[in-house]
Amino acid sequence: MNTFVQRFSTTGALSEARKAKALAADDEEFSDAAWGSEAGFGNIANGVPTFAVPAVPDPSAFLRLHTDDHADPSCRIKIQHGTTTLAFRYKGGVIVAVDSRATAGSYIASGTVKKVIEINPYLLGTMAGGAADCQYWETYLGIHCRLHELRNRERISVSAASKYLSNLVYSYKGMGLSMGTMICGWDKTGPAVFYVDSDGTRLKGDLFSVGSGSTHAYGVLDQGYHWDLSDEEAQELGRRSIYAAGHRDAFSGNTCNLYHIKQDGWHFLGNFDISKMHYEGPGDVPGSFGKGYGYDIRVEGRSSANPPPAAPTTTVTA
Amino acid sequence: MAAYFQAPTAYSRTALPPLAAVSAPQHLVPPSDTSGTIMAITGVGFTVIAGDARRGDAFGAYPQVRFVPTVFRLTDKAVLATNGFASDGNIFIKKVRQRLDWYRHAHAKDMSLHAIALLIQSMLYQRRFCPFYVHNILGGIEDDGSGAVYSFDEVGSYVRETCRAAGSASTMLQPFLDSQIYPKSSQPPTPGSATHLSLARVLALVMDSYKHAADRLSHDQIGDGLEVYIVLSKGTSTQGLNIEGVSEVTSIPGGERIFLLRRSLA
Amino acid sequence: MDHFPTNWGRPRNDTWDPYATYPIHQRPQNHQPKDRFAEGVQHTQQPIVTGTSVLAIKFKDGVMMAADNLASYGSLARFRDIQRLHPVGKYTVLGAGGDMSDFQYIQSILDELIVDELAAADGHTLGPKEIHNYLAEVMYSRRSNMNPLWNSLLVGGYKDGKSFLAYVDLLGTTYTASTLATGYGAYIAQPLLRRAVEGRENELTADEARKILEDSMRVLFYRDARSLDQYQIATITADGVHITESRKLETAWSFAEGIRGYGAQTQ
Repeated sequence: MNTFVQRFSTTGALSEARKAKALAADDEEFSDAAWGSEAGFGNIANGVPTFAVPAVPDPSAFLRLHTDDHADPSCRIKIQHGTTTLAFRYKGGVIVAVDSRATAGSYIASGTVKKVIEINPYLLGTMAGGAADCQYWETYLGIHCRLHELRNRERISVSAASKYLSNLVYSYKGMGLSMGTMICGWDKTGPAVFYVDSDGTRLKGDLFSVGSGSTHAYGVLDQGYHWDLSDEEAQELGRRSIYAAGHRDAFSGNTCNLYHIKQDGWHFLGNFDISKMHYEGPGDVPGSFGKGYGYDIRVEGRSSANPPPAAPTTTVTA
Repeated sequence: MAAYFQAPTAYSRTALPPLAAVSAPQHLVPPSDTSGTIMAITGVGFTVIAGDARRGDAFGAYPQVRFVPTVFRLTDKAVLATNGFASDGNIFIKKVRQRLDWYRHAHAKDMSLHAIALLIQSMLYQRRFCPFYVHNILGGIEDDGSGAVYSFDEVGSYVRETCRAAGSASTMLQPFLDSQIYPKSSQPPTPGSATHLSLARVLALVMDSYKHAADRLSHDQIGDGLEVYIVLSKGTSTQGLNIEGVSEVTSIPGGERIFLLRRSLA
Repeated sequence: MDHFPTNWGRPRNDTWDPYATYPIHQRPQNHQPKDRFAEGVQHTQQPIVTGTSVLAIKFKDGVMMAADNLASYGSLARFRDIQRLHPVGKYTVLGAGGDMSDFQYIQSILDELIVDELAAADGHTLGPKEIHNYLAEVMYSRRSNMNPLWNSLLVGGYKDGKSFLAYVDLLGTTYTASTLATGYGAYIAQPLLRRAVEGRENELTADEARKILEDSMRVLFYRDARSLDQYQIATITADGVHITESRKLETAWSFAEGIRGYGAQTQ
């Protein structure tokens, strides 16, 4: 009875809230979690979160109008992108290597981006495309991987995790998400790499590279890759490939972050400056051959066009 | 998402811009910027967050009002600076503060800095398909007492950094900050390579940057007041803060301390 | 796959790419079905009957606001007896420029708000700050829904010993200052107001404040082609809200006879 009265009453707190809501037209529904606690039953796990959508007949055309810096270089919102990421599996695990540059238009918005997302101690995701899309959905994937562990008393397989992500972004297909990621890990089947992108593609494979510098990286990767690489060789190959992309692709560069996934989970191997790798090499690390990667450094002194440092000259007096 | 409704009439800088309320037919056009520059730098046990207080009008062309804060104190250890479209920024700050209030009511403590960063990410991403047109920089002190700066893009991707500038003068100031904070000026910045400057040095950097950016940029981009928030971790000395115009705005004594420095950029 | 990053991050909608420049698959109905009657629903895309500037300043005892009585229809001075200053509750006055029908709608929701607040009888009353915040939310959400209320509004008031003066417009933009002006007044009157008021907010008497506004309204009438020489002044002090009857500006045009140099008048 009370609820019935409340529903049609024009006075009282409820009707005022209703009125305020109609006026302010706020689409956001807050669950108890918004107050800071849902006593352990966070709402984020209850299905896909909801997003505000602009009140126009064609929301994705609207979004494109405001974010498409390809068609309109002066568009106001420039989503950050530009990248080289790679991952490959071999007998000793998975190598994940990425660069650290983010560009907005032709401006280098940051040179210190973390493009490997540590989903959990056994799973890594790489980040190419929209930084926010990758960060948000891979964090979200992390939540579900943990829930899977709690429900099933075992870790989620890389295959299942990547399928989860792929299904998620597929449900937003056409809305403007931009994500090209590799989900890498070690599960019951051994090392595994899956490529997932925002078109909904999901591919299992040994070797992937994603981003504007991927073509450069593939060149180095393909010529050096085989299944029986040693750990040192594999790490060097990952580093060397990212260097090549950072050197030749304007949208990639700054530094290389290198990860190795073994049976006991992932290990961060280090951050390597790409300019430094060009002139001096990666430093004293396993696999390093102790010299700069730059061709001008490597071939110094091997041709007349690039002679060795000049010997002290003797002056000839006439 | 910002000013969808804007007078498209072309006008030169010398002419009066068309007025929102009295102008001719309007169309949907891309959002507008209301100018301003924000910046944050962190050091050992402190973080400095700054923003200028000039606003253009909603059409981004004319200094309509001379003092609008863009830097907001959230808690005793967190300060958020916004830049971009002013009404999106105001509403966003309001929403963040509301969420922090709710958190405080539920847990009887302030949210920690990294949790605020995550909260801001999810709030920005909630509007992935009609983004808030705001750049955010969150600065403050982490639970372990270290200073931190988090910078966000419009749809919520974020990263912890040592220094960041955003807004109309960002392309001018960011390379300069890099040169001061990252040791080898011939090298691009790499994570973990930052040098931590003293508070006095950082404050001087911030104030000088703004002064000279204001001298170089056109009048509607930057200017008028400068607001600088300084957050000190527990027990950090206030050395370097004994300059004119600094006042303490800490709410609970005994923890992190917050100071506000106001300067004129005229 | 397209490897070039600047091609990424854009909503992939094939209507924007009719020649299939990008390898995108045509998918039926990825977005919501189009409403065939969408064009029948019209949002305010431009103001029709408009008011021009509103001026407001703080003074010793509170806030004073001025607006003329004109509502224009394009360049036609259509309605010459419109009141653009609207009292809201006991402490606040709202001044509006822009679309007058949207202003009337705002008046009605605010009146309803005040009645509801009164009916609640909970000992709380809405002051200017609350009214302004409320308006900012309404204006922002309307523009976010692509259906703006086409106004720029000034909210002035005095409650609990404090003056309040702030601006909000069709985009939800807000700011506050001791002198504010909307419309043409932002360009012509605001500098005059700043010079007369800034730094003297706690010294100006009501008479001085009235004189400042009157002078500014006169300057506006001389230069703003959509203004009128009849205006009202609202005063909000500890005594409450007082809005004057319409009054006429004293203007002098005799100088016109002395002007030479236009058209046929060459001497």
